[in-house]
Amino acid sequence: MFCDEALDAVEAIAAGELTPEGRIAAHLATCPNCAAALASARRLDEMLQARPVQKAPPQFTSRTMAVVRRRRWRSEQFLDLSFNLALGLVALAVVAGVWVFIHRSGLVSVSNDAVNVLSASFVSLAHRVAPSVPLYAGATALVATALGVWWWAERDATL
Amino acid sequence: MKNDRELVDACRRGDEGAFQELIDRYKDLVFALIARTVQDRSRAEDLAQDVFLRIHRGLPYFRGEARLSTWIYRIVANVCVHDQARPPAPASLDDARTPRDASSVSDRRFGDLELRDRLEKAIARLPANYRLLIAAHYLRGVQYEELAEALQLPMGTVKTQLHRAKQQLRRLLETELR
Repeated sequence: MFCDEALDAVEAIAAGELTPEGRIAAHLATCPNCAAALASARRLDEMLQARPVQKAPPQFTSRTMAVVRRRRWRSEQFLDLSFNLALGLVALAVVAGVWVFIHRSGLVSVSNDAVNVLSASFVSLAHRVAPSVPLYAGATALVATALGVWWWAERDATL
Repeated sequence: MKNDRELVDACRRGDEGAFQELIDRYKDLVFALIARTVQDRSRAEDLAQDVFLRIHRGLPYFRGEARLSTWIYRIVANVCVHDQARPPAPASLDDARTPRDASSVSDRRFGDLELRDRLEKAIARLPANYRLLIAAHYLRGVQYEELAEALQLPMGTVKTQLHRAKQQLRRLLETELR
């Protein structure tokens, strides 16, 4: 029974948190099992204190910062996408609302005339712009390529 | 050099350099703690990185009631315990690659290395919370009070759990410690 009491105190004694006094000190001096337990607890404490302290790898900060930036970029992209999607939905709702309003208010005939005028203007504009279309297409392709390269580089950046 | 409070404020304002400084200040502590609970160094690095990502996400909600280091210990504890909820790799103290009869090894340094290896394997067999306590307590500068605050446990419970962890370790290493 007294061995249990002494063994409970062994870890604290080995760690220097408790000084053996009175009955426990006397018991530890006479009981070989408890004395051996105390010796092994002290040895273990020394070994635990001597465990090596590992340092973070040299590139740890830059690697972590790269991950932080990538995550932030992704979350910003997600926000942009959500915003654009919301804008698109609002535009769709406005178009649908206008369409319903025109149909219900008897403005269809007026709007048909308006459509004819607009389409005539569009055809005339197309005739004027047609010679410059290859130039615009080339410029658009260049901008799209640059944006694509930038997006790819940002996505795969590891450092 | 900014103190922790100034550093946190700067990070909250989106100052990237401040967060970099925060990583530089705490990376060795975080890595050392994790490396003592996870055997695989590359896994330890992944987990340490995860800790800093959680810090980055959590900084806007950090109210500053606890010390920054205490909050970081808490995050490390959560990450380690969460990671170790996965089935552990089987670790035997009598690895076939290590000589079993230490008395036959004349080189004492090799004997010490072997003993250290067995200690690490024995620690790997402890429950996750015990492993973390052993790792943190024997890392320079981590006091009972700070551990208790980080783990949100009474100080007495931390002491009791630490003593139990060491008792369990002694049982696992019984023959080596005699």
